[in-house]
Amino acid sequence: MNTTRWLFMLCVALAAFAPSAWAHKESDAYLSLRTDRADDHRMHGQWDIALRDLDYAVGIDANHDGAITWGEVQAHRTAIESYALPRLTVKGDGLTCETTATGQAIDDHTDGAYAVILFDAVCDKNIPSRLTVVYTLMVDIDPYHRGIVTLHAGDRVAGAVLGPDRPQASLDLRTPDRWNEFTSFLNDGIWHIWTGTDHILFLLSLLLPAVLVMQPRSGPHVWRRRASVAESSGALMALNPIGATRVWHPVESFWPACLDVIKIVTAFSISHSITLSLAVLGIVHVPSRLVESGIALSVLVAAFNNVYPMVAKRVWLIAFAFGFIHGLGFASALTGLQLPPGAMAASLGGFSAGVEIGQEAIVLAFLPAAFAIRRTRFYQIGLLRWGSWTIVAIAAGWFIERVFEVSIPGFASILPN
Amino acid sequence: MHAFKTASPKVIRPSLRKGVFRLVGIVAALGSGPLVAQHVTPYVPDSPAVVLQRVPPATDPRVRRFEQLRTDAEAHPGNAQKAVVLAQAYIDFGRSTGDARYLGRAMAVIDPYMKAPSPPISAMLAHATIQQSRHAFAAARKELEQILRRAPDNAQAWLTVATVAMVQGDYRGANDACVHLANSGGDFMGMICTSSLRSLDGRAKQAYALLTLIEDPGPKAPATIRAWIESLMAETAARTGNVDVADAHFRRALQWTPGDNFLLADYGEFLLDHARPADALALVGNDTTSDTSFLIRVAAEVALKSPRAADDIAAMDERFAAMTQRGDHIFLREQATYLLHVRGKAAEALTLARQNWDVQRAPKDARIYLEAALALHDPAAAADVLDFIKESGMSDDTVNPLVTQAQAAIAVAQVKPLPSTTNGAARR
Repeated sequence: MNTTRWLFMLCVALAAFAPSAWAHKESDAYLSLRTDRADDHRMHGQWDIALRDLDYAVGIDANHDGAITWGEVQAHRTAIESYALPRLTVKGDGLTCETTATGQAIDDHTDGAYAVILFDAVCDKNIPSRLTVVYTLMVDIDPYHRGIVTLHAGDRVAGAVLGPDRPQASLDLRTPDRWNEFTSFLNDGIWHIWTGTDHILFLLSLLLPAVLVMQPRSGPHVWRRRASVAESSGALMALNPIGATRVWHPVESFWPACLDVIKIVTAFSISHSITLSLAVLGIVHVPSRLVESGIALSVLVAAFNNVYPMVAKRVWLIAFAFGFIHGLGFASALTGLQLPPGAMAASLGGFSAGVEIGQEAIVLAFLPAAFAIRRTRFYQIGLLRWGSWTIVAIAAGWFIERVFEVSIPGFASILPN
Repeated sequence: MHAFKTASPKVIRPSLRKGVFRLVGIVAALGSGPLVAQHVTPYVPDSPAVVLQRVPPATDPRVRRFEQLRTDAEAHPGNAQKAVVLAQAYIDFGRSTGDARYLGRAMAVIDPYMKAPSPPISAMLAHATIQQSRHAFAAARKELEQILRRAPDNAQAWLTVATVAMVQGDYRGANDACVHLANSGGDFMGMICTSSLRSLDGRAKQAYALLTLIEDPGPKAPATIRAWIESLMAETAARTGNVDVADAHFRRALQWTPGDNFLLADYGEFLLDHARPADALALVGNDTTSDTSFLIRVAAEVALKSPRAADDIAAMDERFAAMTQRGDHIFLREQATYLLHVRGKAAEALTLARQNWDVQRAPKDARIYLEAALALHDPAAAADVLDFIKESGMSDDTVNPLVTQAQAAIAVAQVKPLPSTTNGAARR
């Protein structure tokens, strides 16, 4: 063996000789979460991360002079927060809570200065009864990093040391309150549908023709028989725009229209409740890309049906069929929800009821207004035809985005959903 | 999913109890309430120019080397060799500065290659080295045995096995490894290995003589190797009571690698042992960032009855609390020594010394175990150590008097047993 080789080997082996202890302990970060006394949805967090670690992870010592100044830490605030916060998940009863940085400071620990990220975790969907923290900071750059986590809920205090082998820990904050679960999910259900543009457009597409009835063009016409045959058999008449053979006529009285709407809404409610429950209870699982694409397709079909009717008399069938996929979509708001059975039933019930209330509210606002203006050209042409075309265009955009997981430039800024 | 362990002792799992109680004890000693060492409040510095933390500057050639090696490793994903070189650079830097963070960084570089069904030997070696450095001796040895099954002539693996075996007190295993090392790595390596071993097992005089033969490894040898041989000679000389010779070797070693953290710690302990606290204090100077140097400083201040001692003891307590909090136990011997000699907590020291003895069995580990047991007037508590020393032939000038003292006390106790409560309390 030549000299250079053994010298190298000795050097390598020397690293193994650690006769006494190390000068510095390994990397730790300190995370504490404290429930807000006034707001049950909110927790205040403080996360102390060593400047040496942050310098290694994102580079804080901008001028590489070996001295990290407060100015450099301030300048890297965004970099620090966008590095750290995504590596921490705070969950209330399994639902991810949103973390937002609220401030920056410095803390001196025994082994040096730490950057402090002050943040709030907001569990806006529910009042969490069980808090879970999933900690993955630095997992890929230092497997010996540990997150020393302390949770304060009122006078309850709990702690855990988290790392790659044990990334998550939980604490019961309070016993689940069924009534609270019910009302907070009721509220969430309402907002879920009101802010879910795709659900609203689907519903509106089905409701738009409810105050109208499709009738053959008056007078003898060669297409007339064919049209009625085709419609009653449900055959596709894609090449046969309605203008050529049939026209929309306003309904004469309110109640048939109302009955129509009740049928549509009930069918939609029944089917979406079924899949919502199955998905939240974890009995069925459909990948979200498929669900979201399916919802986009449902909006497209419903709107398209208004300009090229495939189903005109039994629109509730469309509502019923696509309700299943919308139910899976609603369930995404509750993905991961974990509660004891009683509280689970309360929250699921509350959410479903909220979705219904939100939906009825839309219907109640829509129907009288639509009935009032059903005779106008604005309604028949402007809203029904061109409104439906607009919805078709939007839904097609969503469909492409969701199926191919691409984003169409500018599209999201018009419609965020 | 793991549930948080709550602060109430009622629900703490028995396995956790010991650690938690120890933490509570330490924090209680500080006289402060919270379980967590987050005693400080966040603050906003007065000016952007305030320097908060020193990190290795870019002018440090080792840092520039990291950058090059990292760029190189990142440019060649899947190239284990480049990753190992980078990991090795981290390990070396960590060793010389004593910053254990670099072990984690090295591990992160190696980890992806360890997932293969049959990882590259070089990656496994680096992995075992890190394990060993973190005092995971049993795991390191298992990995080294795997390496040697695949590559029976790997000298580096044999050298590391020998080192681990020596720390574990397995002198037979170490001898076996040294013989293999001499066969695969050459006489020089064999001699270093054998003299390290003989320094421990009662033949320190011969070991010292052997080391004098190889004291000068030639002009090509890097400073780290020269420093290492000098420190080995220093320890071996000290073990036989050759204090002045040992001192000279320590100083020569420091000339080769000034500021080496492990060397400072060893020399500092040596100075304290030989009633030279002022020299020990001067040695570690004002380096308050290194925990090992700070330990020397605190002990020296206590010996000198320095007015700074009280504040520094409080600071050291906090450091130990922070270390305990993360749940690793790679600082047990130092903590036990501190608890016994600085804090006067013999029972806690004995508990830690015993835990430490399960992991490592160097003369220093035997010493603190015996010291703690004797301080509690319960020498029988250290029966493990006495048996080991008898069996292995370990001999050290700082340990031998303790052994004699313990054996004498046990002999007396056998004639007239100590009250059982004392025994019981110490054993628990």
